[in-house]
Amino acid sequence: MWTWFYKLASPPYVYGTAAALAPWFLGLAAVAIGYGLVDGLVFAPPDYQQGDAFRIIYVHVPSAWLSLFAYVGMAVAAAIALIWRIKMGHAVAAASAPIGASFTLLALVTGSLWGRPMWGTFWAWDPRLTSELILLFLYVGVMSLRAAFEDPARGDRAAALLALVGVVNVPIIHFSVVWWNSLHQGATVARFGKPTMVASMLWPLLSMALGFMLFYGAVLCMRLQGEVLTRERQARWVAEAIKS
Amino acid sequence: MSVGPGEAFALVVHRELRLSFRRPDQLLQPLVFFLIVTTLFPLGLSLQLSLLRDMAPGVLWVAALLSSLLSLDSLFKSDADDGTLEQLALCGQGLTVIVVAKTFAHWLVSGLALVLVSPLVGTALGIPGSVFATMMLSLALGTLTLSWLGAIGAGLTVGLKRGNVLLSLIVLPLAMPLLIFGAAATDRAISGVSASGALYFLAALCVFTCTLAPFAATAALHITLE
Amino acid sequence: MGGGGNQIVSAGFWSMGGYAGYVWPCFAFAGVILGWNLWSARRYRAAAQLKARRALEAADTDRAAATAVVAIPRTAGEQA
Repeated sequence: MWTWFYKLASPPYVYGTAAALAPWFLGLAAVAIGYGLVDGLVFAPPDYQQGDAFRIIYVHVPSAWLSLFAYVGMAVAAAIALIWRIKMGHAVAAASAPIGASFTLLALVTGSLWGRPMWGTFWAWDPRLTSELILLFLYVGVMSLRAAFEDPARGDRAAALLALVGVVNVPIIHFSVVWWNSLHQGATVARFGKPTMVASMLWPLLSMALGFMLFYGAVLCMRLQGEVLTRERQARWVAEAIKS
Repeated sequence: MSVGPGEAFALVVHRELRLSFRRPDQLLQPLVFFLIVTTLFPLGLSLQLSLLRDMAPGVLWVAALLSSLLSLDSLFKSDADDGTLEQLALCGQGLTVIVVAKTFAHWLVSGLALVLVSPLVGTALGIPGSVFATMMLSLALGTLTLSWLGAIGAGLTVGLKRGNVLLSLIVLPLAMPLLIFGAAATDRAISGVSASGALYFLAALCVFTCTLAPFAATAALHITLE
Repeated sequence: MGGGGNQIVSAGFWSMGGYAGYVWPCFAFAGVILGWNLWSARRYRAAAQLKARRALEAADTDRAAATAVVAIPRTAGEQA
C-alpha cells in the first residue's frame, strides 16, 4: 500500500513523473486562468462599493492563497525529508521556495495597488498585507539559509528545519497581526474587506485560484527536474533521462 | 561517576555563568546597546515626554529585541569553535539538556539583565512607574521566548561565516508576535486598560516556545555539527 | 452573455470605471510574475541538464582514459 510513497523517494521516478506532468499542469492552468480572466474582467458585474477596482481580487487573492499553499507544501516536503530521510523531499522544498516567494511579492504589489484607490495610500499596515510581508521574510530566510551552507546536503536539512519552525509560527503570526490591527484601527478607516461576492463574481475567482495552483504545479515540476538533477548528477539513470 | 540530567543542567548553567562573568565587558555590551538604541528615538523624534510615552512601549521592545539578537551570537559559537560543543554532545547527557542549560544561562545574563535595566529606560521614555511591573513581566516573558527562538537560529547558523546577519533575518520575523503582544501589554497598562489578555498570550507563547524550541534547537545543532 | 464581445471594444472596459491605473498594472505584474516563473524554471532545468551532461561526459572520458592506460602495455603495437 505504501509502495507509491516509496516510489516518490526514487529520483528517476520523480524526474520522469515531473517531466510528464508539467505540460499537463501548464495546459490546464492556461485554461483555468484564461476562463477566469475573461469571466472576471469582462462578464462579472462591477462591485457596488469598489466599482471596477475590485477586479484586482482576481490576481490578489489567488496569489495570496498560493503563497501560503506553497509555504505549507514546502514545509510538508521538508518534514518528509527530515523524518523519513527522503532526499526528494528536499528537492521539492527547494523548488517550491522561489515560486512561493514570487507569488508573495505579487500578492503584496497587487494588494498595495488595490489599497491605493480604497484607502488613499499604497500601504496602510492592513493585517492581511502585513502577514504577507512577514511571510515574504520567512521565505527569504529559508532561501538564504539554504544558500549559506557550502555543503548542500547540510543546507537542505537546515532550511528544512527552519521551514518547519516557520510553518508552526505562521498561524501565530497571522493571529497576532490581526489582533494588533484590530487594536489600532480607527473607526473611520473603512475595512479593506472582500466585496460581498455574487456567484458571477465568485466563479472566476475560484477558476483563477485553481489556475494558479495548477501553474504552481507545472513550474514546480520544471524546477523539480532541475533540483533532482543537481542532487543526482553522477547517477546512472541520469544519462538516459537527459537524452530525452 | 554518573550525573543525572538535573545535575548536568546545574553544572552547565554554572559553567556558562562563570565564563560569562569572566568577560564582564561582553556582558555589558548588549545592555549598553539597549541604552544607546533607546536614546536614538528621542533624538530622532521628540523630547517631549508626553509624546515619547505614546511610542515608549514599542521603542522599548524594539530596542530589547535588537540587543538580544546581538548577544545570541555567543550562545553556541565559542563552544563550537573550540570543539567543546561536540564534547558536550558526546558526554552522554543528551544534547537537549545541554542546550536547555546554555539557553537558560544565556537568558539570565542577557534577557534578565534587560528586564532589570528596563525601569531606567522606561523612565527615560516617560513610562509611568505604576506600569513598571507589567512592563518588566512582559519583558521577562518576551526575552525568555526570544532566547529560545534565538537558540534555534543560533543552532542553525553556528559555523557560518557572517551568520550574525542571517541569524537576525531568521529570528526577527518569528519574533514579531512577541513584539506585538509585549508592546501592547505595556501600552494597555499605560492607558489604564487591563493588560492581562496580552500578558496571558505572551505567557502562552513563552510556554509553547520553551516546550518545543529545545528539540528544534538540538535538531539544528545535530544538523550543523555532525 | 449576449453583449460580451462588444464590452471589450467599448472604452468602459479599458478604463475600468476610472481605476485603469490600478487594475491594469496589477494584471501586467501578474503576467510578469507568471512569465518569470516559467522562464526561471526552464533556465534552471536547462542549466542542470547541461551540468549533468558535462559531468557524465567527464566521467566517460575518465573511464576511457583509465581503460586506455590499462590497455597500453598489451597493445602497444596496435595503438592507433
